[in-house]
Amino acid sequence: MSSINNAIVSYQQKLAINRLGLWLFFASDAFMFGGLLVARFYLLGNKNLNLDQTLGLLVTSILLISSFFMNRAEVMVSEGNHKGFITSLVITILLGISFLVGVVGLEWGSAHFGPGDGAEGAVFYMMTGMHAFHVLTGIIFLSLVLRNGLNKKYTPEKHYAVEASANYWHFVDVVWIIYYPVLYLMGTI
Amino acid sequence: MKHFSIVSILVILLTVIVYFFLQAVGLLPTQASSQAIIIDQLFDIHIGIIAFLFSLIVVFIGYSLIVFRRNKQMPDEEGQHITGSSKLEIVWTLVPLAVVIFISYLGAISLAETRKIDPQALDIKVTGGQWYWSFDYPDYGITSDVLYLPVGRQVKLSLTSMDVIHSFWVPEFRVKQDVLPGENLVKELRFTPIETGDFMVLCAELCGGAHAYMNSPVKVVTDGEFQDWIDEELGNFPQDPESLGERLAKNNGCFGCHSVDGKDGVGPTWKGLYRSEKTLVSGEKIVVGEDYLYNAIVNPNSQIVLGYPANVMAQNYGELFTDEEINNMITFIKSLE
Amino acid sequence: MNLSGIVKGILFQIVGSFIGAGIMGGIRALMGLPWKTEPAIVLGGLVGAIAFMVGVGAFKDWWKMALGEEVTEASEVVGKQGLSRYFGFSLDHKVIGIQYGILSMVLLVLGGSLALIFRVELAQSGLQLLNFVQFNTLVGLHGMVLIASILMGIAAMSNYVVPLLIGAEDMAFPRLNAFSFWIAVPASIILMSSMFFGGFETGWTAYPPLSVRGPMGIQMFFLGVFIVGYSSILGALNLIATILTMRTKGMGLFKMPIFAWSVLATSIISLTATQLIGLSFQLVMFERLFGMSFFTPSDGGNPILFQHLFWFYSHPAVYIFVLPGLGIISELLPVFVRKPLFGYKWVAMSSMGIALTGFLVWGHHMFTAGIEEYLRVPFMYSTLLVAVPTGVKFFSWVATIWQGKARFPVPMLFVLGGIIVFLLGGLTGPPNGTVSTDLHLHDTYYIVGHFHNTMFGGFIFPIFAAIYYWYPKITGRRMSETLGKIHFYLMTPSFFLMTFGQMRIGLLGMRRRIADYDPAMGFDFTQLLITIGGYLIAISILVFFYNLIVSAKKGESATGNIWNSRSPEWDILPSPAPVHNYAGIHFNVVGEPYDYGLIGSKYVELAQGIHQREESD
Ligand code: HEA
Ligand code: HEA
Ligand code: HEC
Ligand code: CUA
Ligand SMILES: [Cu+2]
Repeated sequence: MSSINNAIVSYQQKLAINRLGLWLFFASDAFMFGGLLVARFYLLGNKNLNLDQTLGLLVTSILLISSFFMNRAEVMVSEGNHKGFITSLVITILLGISFLVGVVGLEWGSAHFGPGDGAEGAVFYMMTGMHAFHVLTGIIFLSLVLRNGLNKKYTPEKHYAVEASANYWHFVDVVWIIYYPVLYLMGTI
Repeated sequence: MKHFSIVSILVILLTVIVYFFLQAVGLLPTQASSQAIIIDQLFDIHIGIIAFLFSLIVVFIGYSLIVFRRNKQMPDEEGQHITGSSKLEIVWTLVPLAVVIFISYLGAISLAETRKIDPQALDIKVTGGQWYWSFDYPDYGITSDVLYLPVGRQVKLSLTSMDVIHSFWVPEFRVKQDVLPGENLVKELRFTPIETGDFMVLCAELCGGAHAYMNSPVKVVTDGEFQDWIDEELGNFPQDPESLGERLAKNNGCFGCHSVDGKDGVGPTWKGLYRSEKTLVSGEKIVVGEDYLYNAIVNPNSQIVLGYPANVMAQNYGELFTDEEINNMITFIKSLE
Repeated sequence: MNLSGIVKGILFQIVGSFIGAGIMGGIRALMGLPWKTEPAIVLGGLVGAIAFMVGVGAFKDWWKMALGEEVTEASEVVGKQGLSRYFGFSLDHKVIGIQYGILSMVLLVLGGSLALIFRVELAQSGLQLLNFVQFNTLVGLHGMVLIASILMGIAAMSNYVVPLLIGAEDMAFPRLNAFSFWIAVPASIILMSSMFFGGFETGWTAYPPLSVRGPMGIQMFFLGVFIVGYSSILGALNLIATILTMRTKGMGLFKMPIFAWSVLATSIISLTATQLIGLSFQLVMFERLFGMSFFTPSDGGNPILFQHLFWFYSHPAVYIFVLPGLGIISELLPVFVRKPLFGYKWVAMSSMGIALTGFLVWGHHMFTAGIEEYLRVPFMYSTLLVAVPTGVKFFSWVATIWQGKARFPVPMLFVLGGIIVFLLGGLTGPPNGTVSTDLHLHDTYYIVGHFHNTMFGGFIFPIFAAIYYWYPKITGRRMSETLGKIHFYLMTPSFFLMTFGQMRIGLLGMRRRIADYDPAMGFDFTQLLITIGGYLIAISILVFFYNLIVSAKKGESATGNIWNSRSPEWDILPSPAPVHNYAGIHFNVVGEPYDYGLIGSKYVELAQGIHQREESD
């Protein structure tokens, strides 16, 4: 075996280990988000929180669309489409920021309760806050990926950082797909 | 096979010895409620199982280590190459499984027995607070800091807390129930005392500070004595404001923090309090008068005495007591001058 | 000046704490709020912990990676040699394992000493030495510091031993590994500092609403445990990845040394359940800081919720504590009785069984708490179910010992002691597990006796066995047998004195966490005995430490396969273990791990011919 082959093998092997590690992290984090869900049901049952439905739908759509662009970015980098990759990434980041503005800026400002107002306030701010914190870290990762992408650090073969932050982004998105109905829709029907 | 017969005999012997030893030392306090009898039966089964399993494992290990010990002449001798036996493994998975299911079943029955409901039960409201117990008898309109119980009649306690979690426990009755704050978290506990005598309610959940001392006497008395006590409580005690105030303070846990004999407690003593000079945390110096006392009870945080913590005294005494009651307590405090 | 990592870290932590506290003060000042100590110490603690990590150099490589720069392969980083490497940042799993071990022992002494202090108070009725808050702080910290010590101790064993056992060069993520260790250091400092911020009154379980009131030391307690929790999560992640992906050629899952199985099972619990204790503590922190009422009934909260979240971790956690210890027992027993481990697959699966059923039983801590009535009976069934896989382990050990040709060096003594003590701990479990008997037992010293038995039997005894066993692998020298025997024969009876005393008075009505008890109950004498037992344990552990330190220089030298073990770290590696585990000497698995007594059989064999990785260098 030549040493080049060997390097590829060991890169592949590392990739497998890294992927496993990332999924294990998701499993762990999921328990934390699950704990918050339990708190919501335990304290509030299926009580409706009377939140602004339009805003809720809006931020949810924004996040879903951002996930779509994130996926585009990942596909494009593996196809070697540098420009498309950067564009999609920038769109993802911008959508992520708008999500944060929507939740933390608008929703928190307009909600009819504060964090100190009973169990409803506590649960709402904790769930959205914890999720927003994850979105924020996601944006930071994506920004680093963007910086390195602009410096042409990724090749179609080697771009695990893109893949990892994409998966993280999708994971945080999936969490919101569960949180959204639990926070906004439950109890309305 | 020879080994197994010897070991079996030893296991049985040791089981019997351990079991009777544990029985003989008297592990549990007296049984003073009908629940205690039921629960102790389950304890008995547990003790038997513990004695057997302990003996089983210890005898096997001990016997093997001694009897099959290494021959001094052959220090490098290896054991036999036995890697396992699925049959055995299945046996010692299934048999314990059956045993634990059986114990759980007995446990469920035992629990149901201890919770049998008697519609004639005596209602008592129990309030726990830092660090006192208070007992209300709604049928009679009595409040007491001693739990009086008629022997042989089931009691139904409704437990609630003023502040943090406490736990109601009388070891001789065996039963225990945490006492939670919150109107929607009132818990129920039933038991039937079967032996007259003096016992103690112990608070079994760490509740800060004087948790160790959160005990109140329990008196299990005969029906007649119980009736006498009620009569006495209802009518035959002095109705002057001072005595009324003393009873109120006693029954509402004030004495958990305030002494009347000059000893320092969680709060300042009441002895000599009236007309004494006090320094407040704010630096202000005041002479204790009626208004000050009233305010100190209704709105304690507004004037914290230097050297004592704020937020310790409950903030809702103003709602709990009528003005008349508060004035009675003030009269009592004044009498300690 | 070249400060060693830990000193620099601590200096950074101190400065960072002040900066963090200052920032909080500044923010509040900008919002027009007065100075308040509580939020300031929380932020200070957090920033301090991060600053520590910066100081020790944990972020250096990650920062480079984030910027897309190349970093040296972990296996090519040449670390310092000599004693100083244990006090600085290193990527070598063996060094990290020992660092964990040192931290664990430091915490053991700290936590144990706290017990020794409050035991003096309890030796007789009345209040002599401590006031209430001091007593409660000592009890709670004793519990939590020792739990942290256990977590560090199992991490020490897993880190040092697992890669050696499975023939890996290192852990899957060496940098993460170092991070997991170092973050535990500032966390332990924060945890201990709770004593200096007024202490806390709640015991290690920190139930609200009591923890929502009371002194603010509880915040440091929460923060410390939260960070220790993260250390434990990341460590577990690393171990799972290592075990699943880095085994040597031919080592199928069912050919791993059994200890690897128990670590895998443990890690599954730590990886997932630990989040819940972090969350529950975080919620109380926020309730105190921001008035978010999760647990205060008058504002719509519910204190029972906390107990559910807390015990969802803290029950499985007790199996985190013991599974590695039981794994050590299963690993060493065959070596010393010269017989195969009886029913390898069953023992391996029983670890998994304990881990998984362990998730279903948390409610047994809440039988008296006022949980929903319909939950108590199902939790009783599930609780007792755990006895089944645990029993499989016991019976398999018995069958392994049966007809074995045992030898009794010190590690074997601790293995046997561990079995008996853990048996007592386990057998005292079912009476707690059936609801109606637990109504009597809950929150008494009987429970205290129960868990000291399980934790000593499942952790303290096995880790001593492990240290005596692998010490020559680390230092190339043996520990003194004589001192080891003194340690064992002093500690074991003293331990029984302590826990039998605890269980006895517990059944008669001694409550937990009380600084004073009624002399009328007649506990004074037994309490005195318990205290004496505790002190004798401490003395025996002093003997152990003396042995540990002196043997490093003076011990009898031991380079070969001194225990005559089949596992690769003894069979193949020289002692002390070389810096790069098996660099250049790859081995393949060619047989079963525990075929003692089968003449001519082999577990591992040096790989034939060339060594691929060497070539590509
Ligand atoms: C290392 C730790 C450890 C371990 C392994 C265990 C093991 C077990 N524990 Fe323990 N426990 C603790 C640590 C541990 N515990 C701690 C720290 C607390 C207190 C927490 C606090 O409040 O501070 C506690 C408290 C605790 C309680 C709550 C008591 C209360 O507060 O009211 C209960 C109740 O069910 C319980 C039960 C059990 C059971 C059933 C087991 C079982 O796993 C035991 C199984 C083993 C055996 C049974 C022996 C061997 C088996 C056989 C030989 C097979 C045949 C057996 C039968 C057929 C029965 N434990
Ligand atoms: C691994 C865990 C572990 C260990 C090893 C111990 C060890 C000891 N424990 Fe611990 N204990 C717990 C875990 C542990 N405990 C937990 C989780 C709780 C529950 C806390 C709570 O309720 O919140 C508890 C509670 C607890 C109580 C109940 C307190 C109460 O509720 O009122 C008591 C009382 O006797 C006690 C006693 C002791 C004693 C005497 C030792 C002895 O074995 C200690 C022996 C000493 C050492 C191991 C240290 C070695 C010391 C030296 C070598 C001395 C050298 C020192 C200097 C020179 C400074 N413990
Ligand atoms: C949990 C403990 C606690 C209980 C119960 C309690 N108090 Fe207090 N009390 C305190 C503390 C602490 C102070 C001192 C701080 C302050 O001034 O508010 C105090 C102060 C006072 C004072 C002012 C004393 C002085 O020296 O100026 C009065 C009067 C008083 N309490 C009355 C009562 C009455 C009446 C009750 C019962 C209905 C009661 N307290 C129950 C803890 C308690
Ligand atoms: Cu009330 Cu303890
Ligand atoms: Cu448990």
